[in-house]
Amino acid sequence: MLEIKNLTKSYGDVVALDRFSLDLKKGEVLGLLGPNGAGKTTLISILAGTVRDFTGTVTFEGRSLFADRSMKNRLGVVPQDMAFYDDLNAMDNLLFWGGLYDVPRADLKRRAAELLEVVELSDRAKEPVKNFSGGMKRRLNTAIGLLHKPDLLLLDEPTVGIDVQAKVSILDIIRSVGAAGTAVIFTTHQLAEVEGTCSRIAIMDHGRILAQGTLDALIRIVGEKDIVEFTGEFAAAAFSEALQDLAGDGLELLSVADGLASLAVADTGRIPKVMDRLFQRKLAVTDMKIKTPSLETVFLKLTGRSLRD
Amino acid sequence: MRTLRRILHVTANDLRIMVGDKVFFFWTLAFPVLFIVLFGLVFKAGASAPDVAEVVVVNQDQGRWGAYFIDKIKTPGVAVTVTDKEPEAYNRLLVLPPDFSARIEARRDQALAFKKRENASARAAARVETRLYQAIARTLSELILYGDGDLTKFLDGHPEFRDIVLVESRFPPKTVSVVPSGFDHTIPGTTIQFIMMMVMIYGGISVMEDRKKGILGRLLFSPLSPGGLFRAKLLGRWLMGLLQALMLFAIGKIFFRLNLGNVPLALLVIAVFALAMSALSVFIGSLCTKEDLIIGLSVLLANLFAALGGCWWPNEIVPPAVRTVARISPAYWAMDALHKLTFFRGGFADIAPALAVLGTLAIVLTAVAGKAFRIRD
Repeated sequence: MLEIKNLTKSYGDVVALDRFSLDLKKGEVLGLLGPNGAGKTTLISILAGTVRDFTGTVTFEGRSLFADRSMKNRLGVVPQDMAFYDDLNAMDNLLFWGGLYDVPRADLKRRAAELLEVVELSDRAKEPVKNFSGGMKRRLNTAIGLLHKPDLLLLDEPTVGIDVQAKVSILDIIRSVGAAGTAVIFTTHQLAEVEGTCSRIAIMDHGRILAQGTLDALIRIVGEKDIVEFTGEFAAAAFSEALQDLAGDGLELLSVADGLASLAVADTGRIPKVMDRLFQRKLAVTDMKIKTPSLETVFLKLTGRSLRD
Repeated sequence: MRTLRRILHVTANDLRIMVGDKVFFFWTLAFPVLFIVLFGLVFKAGASAPDVAEVVVVNQDQGRWGAYFIDKIKTPGVAVTVTDKEPEAYNRLLVLPPDFSARIEARRDQALAFKKRENASARAAARVETRLYQAIARTLSELILYGDGDLTKFLDGHPEFRDIVLVESRFPPKTVSVVPSGFDHTIPGTTIQFIMMMVMIYGGISVMEDRKKGILGRLLFSPLSPGGLFRAKLLGRWLMGLLQALMLFAIGKIFFRLNLGNVPLALLVIAVFALAMSALSVFIGSLCTKEDLIIGLSVLLANLFAALGGCWWPNEIVPPAVRTVARISPAYWAMDALHKLTFFRGGFADIAPALAVLGTLAIVLTAVAGKAFRIRD
């Protein structure tokens, strides 16, 4: 359905997308994970048609996504910004935004009412949006992108800054939209969100996809190793040097920075030896965490960074 | 067709949001009406004319033509008081010098002093002045017809010739027909000033806010093109200016007997002026990132342009140098055209130069605003 090939976009010397390629099928929900600056928003902006001057191709059902503006009728976008009119009520916002697409007026009203039900805002339909809570605004923000029943839905961090209840509601909507046959790409920082919502997960950094697949397939990338995370007051170089001769044979240094380092270990029984070495070298480790294989450990292994970074 | 529908959809929404703002009607209607009443009354004070315009004639003439001339001035609408020396208080005063008759008989030109007290009615002065021109014309005509003979005696013996010379005064089309003061000046002036202020402030702030909140970006997720979005924003602000002008003109017509002369042409001037201001508002909204900056800039520009452009007082009363500088103000050209329509009963040809300047300004500002129009910060 959607085919992205060698998409490259630079801002000056900074490469935001580097020969990015991706396929997406009808009804597939793809969670795009990546740290800040990974290129997620640039990708969404290009697909939404608001960022130009890129190279590569994007086709949708065999046609360029940017062939003409009527293609936008097939595309729904939920931006990270709560971009709507605070002075209007929820229903009027939906009617305004929906009115920009080629949807008959009568259908639009019915669809707006349906969506207000879906996002649980029916009882607040006539209230100015400025009175809404953050979670209600996020739900409305999502509903606006769905109004014209798009075939491809792009969501840029749709759950940022909202309470758990609103988050669950939005993730339910994403799942149901995918189940109805819409192809969905949504970006997030939250690993837990993609774990339960997406049929496929892609991890990207530095403008490229590092790995993609189902959750199980991704976890197999780190194998059965546990991740051990050390924090303290130590220099990165000293930490690396201390464990240099222990690396290999079931112990892998994943990432090292001043005060924070991660190791993958096949056998947690090797951890005391690691600790002994660190104490011998007088490296001040103040905390240590052992993490079993998960999407977060996959992410850490692939990017060398935590999502919080 | 669909593009036009989308543009109108965005425009209608912009207007709806502006009109829905609680303070919109205060700033676009109530406050300007307050201005109109205040300035209208200030200018109106000296503009009302008494039923009978009095004039004191100081007749120092040594001959017979002074009395003859005074007789020609008399008419039911003008009360003439004749005296031989200048009184301390008067509203209007005409001095006939001692050699008035001698100069007439010697066929020499002469100047007559006609004075008006500063605060006396300008309309009454205009009526007396008109009567003086009539009297001069009649005297000269009768002199040509009857020579230096004793006209009074002749006319007493031949009453059928008494009114043989009739002088009718009619102002040519390009001369002032109404003294430019009162509500006929302040309503267009205030309208022009507040179109500038409100279109720039409301229009500029909403463009900036829509950009900062990501609304402009989101609009482009739809099939609406960037060019279509720019046109929609321009159209919304233009209609806002027109709406404001129509409301103020309607109030002016109903409550203050506003006389715009040629109304369609006056609306054409307003339309072209509002278009230029709409483009300026989109430009300001695209450049500025803070609401305070837009308000400050708009208030400064609008008041500067209004003062220079003749919105507060008629440009006819400012020194020529100031009038020359005033040409930098868009309001000058709008007020110039409106004055020509209102006070000089002008037509399209008379306002064409001002319209051309405003039209050029609108095109240039639209091009500049289009270039500066930003979807994101």
